[in-house]
Amino acid sequence: MEPMTEAPPVVEMRNIKKNFAAVQALRGVDLTLHHGEVLGLVGDNAAGKSTLMKVLSGAYIPDGGEILIEGKKSHMTDPLDARRLGIEMVYQDLAIANNLDVTSNVFLGRESVSTQLGPFGILDSRRMEQEAQRLLDRLKIDIPSVRLLVERLSGGQRQAVAIARAMAFNSKVIIMDEPTAALSVAAISKVLDLVRELKAQGASIIIISHRLEDIYSVSDRLMVMRNGRKVRDSAVTGDIDNFRERVVAYMIGARDDFAREADAVAG
Amino acid sequence: MSFKDVLKTQQHNIREYGMYIAFVAIVVFFSISTKGLFVSSRNIGNLVNAMSYIAVLAVGMTLVIVIRHIDLSVGYLAGFLGAVAAISLKFWHLPLYATIPLVLGLGLLAGLFTAFLVAQMKIPAFVATLAGWLGFRGALQLATRSTGTIIISDKIFNALGNGFIPDIPGVTFLPGVHKVTLLLGLVAIILFIIGEINNRKKTQAYHFEVLSMNMFILKLVFISVVIAGITWVLAGYQGLSWAAVILVLVVLLYSYITTKTVIGRHIYAVGGNPEAAELNGISVKKITFFVFGSMGLLTALSGILYASWLRSATTIAGAGMEFDAIAAAFVGGVAVAGGVGKVTGSILGALVMASLTNGMNLLGWDISIQYIVRALVLAGAVIFDVQTRKGAK
Repeated sequence: MEPMTEAPPVVEMRNIKKNFAAVQALRGVDLTLHHGEVLGLVGDNAAGKSTLMKVLSGAYIPDGGEILIEGKKSHMTDPLDARRLGIEMVYQDLAIANNLDVTSNVFLGRESVSTQLGPFGILDSRRMEQEAQRLLDRLKIDIPSVRLLVERLSGGQRQAVAIARAMAFNSKVIIMDEPTAALSVAAISKVLDLVRELKAQGASIIIISHRLEDIYSVSDRLMVMRNGRKVRDSAVTGDIDNFRERVVAYMIGARDDFAREADAVAG
Repeated sequence: MSFKDVLKTQQHNIREYGMYIAFVAIVVFFSISTKGLFVSSRNIGNLVNAMSYIAVLAVGMTLVIVIRHIDLSVGYLAGFLGAVAAISLKFWHLPLYATIPLVLGLGLLAGLFTAFLVAQMKIPAFVATLAGWLGFRGALQLATRSTGTIIISDKIFNALGNGFIPDIPGVTFLPGVHKVTLLLGLVAIILFIIGEINNRKKTQAYHFEVLSMNMFILKLVFISVVIAGITWVLAGYQGLSWAAVILVLVVLLYSYITTKTVIGRHIYAVGGNPEAAELNGISVKKITFFVFGSMGLLTALSGILYASWLRSATTIAGAGMEFDAIAAAFVGGVAVAGGVGKVTGSILGALVMASLTNGMNLLGWDISIQYIVRALVLAGAVIFDVQTRKGAK
């Protein structure tokens, strides 16, 4: 996908640094995400991909660098700030309350209120149910009723609820952390269809996954991280075997497109 | 929606229906074995008064268990606050309208202090409230040490736990029946039916599934008959007691808060998955303060009802009440793991346990057997609960 030169990218992270005590988790990472683009983010464990996404979603405050959302410099100090800017994170462990129904989960923490009685906001339940149903229909998610408790749904359906929640409030950027881990093969293909559907509806998506075939099948562009640095950033091309071979070479450190830059910074 | 899906959405109701059936079975059993004495107006009136202070505690305990905590301190706190009420009326000569807010305020403070220990100091609720159990027990003994049992002579205060709502004087039809109680029962039935019909209409307007017309009418008739029956029985003695009125108001208020408000939904979200709640901007700390604060307030109300019912504050008031409240909540379907349980369920649980005690007393069963029967009912209810929950998955 060719980025448009006029419009600024929806997300631009520049030279992001984050340390945990003596560990340099992020050593100056750049990331760009264009409108309507799916960016795959891969790397071995401890490469820094989850840390980078937690910085983008407001869960971590970076020690250095800057974040531009649609060209505007942004400071996020907690996940709610990021949310207000239209950045939604779908967590690996789902962050869903199994004892509540689908509607309650979609609107969790952002309930529609019909009247405010002192400290008590009165829930506008029907409106929320209706909107949740519309959302599921729009995303072609197959769940028989928005009144079902989430504990009665399959793993794939639960993941779909978590993703639908991220889409509920006209978000610009959706970050998915391992959305296909721990799912059956059939459920994985449904979740990937959902990712394509989100993209078709204009969302910009960053997807972290260990499953390279999933990244290959939905992403426009791929970014590989290793030891807290970006080592590869390119469009997804070629056949799957070729793709996998190349990506693995970057993941294990056999290849590095940004080595000279890193040396220059270090030197 | 297929039939299987309908079953799925209804499955969580099976637990509730099971409890209603068990309650009806208990009532029928004791009614027959006591030759009608159990369902006599006088007995039901006493039963309601004797359970009200436990039921009030059970309402607060429901929310505490839903957010995965427990409160062992409420029994002696209720006893201590009852003693404070007695001392305030008798020795400080404070009027009733000052005493009641004072006691409720102290209850709220005690609840918030527990919340501080749990939410701020991160002490497990079991330990924090065990300390409260010891502390309030000591406070109760300290308060009553010089006087022993304090007799309360304030008539209005004592009416809260013993008195009945007034009737219209000079009405001659239906002698011996409490007319205001009948009228209130009728109003309740009408409001219930109007509310249900409105709710159904609105739900249909939004194209959501509703009960079939026959089932809907059956439900309306059944609940109306139950309300009418209870009203008739109560009206046959001295009518609705003040304790019953207070209990009904507490249940209505808490049912509304838990099912219709944002904070109610957040309480269940915190109980179901505290991390998820926090990630979605819900403050677990704030919810913990709210829930324990409300527990403290209801404990104060329970203490007032209990002292009023006994017309005195005793040196051992409140002993074991916390366990009755916890048992009522568990019998009423509150899940031990948190996140699940209704206020109305806990009230039904309290009613089941109180009916058992009352019925067994009428039959003159030995107290040791009574404890064992109640143990079996508690264990049986929780086993049923766990099994239906498993089956539903």
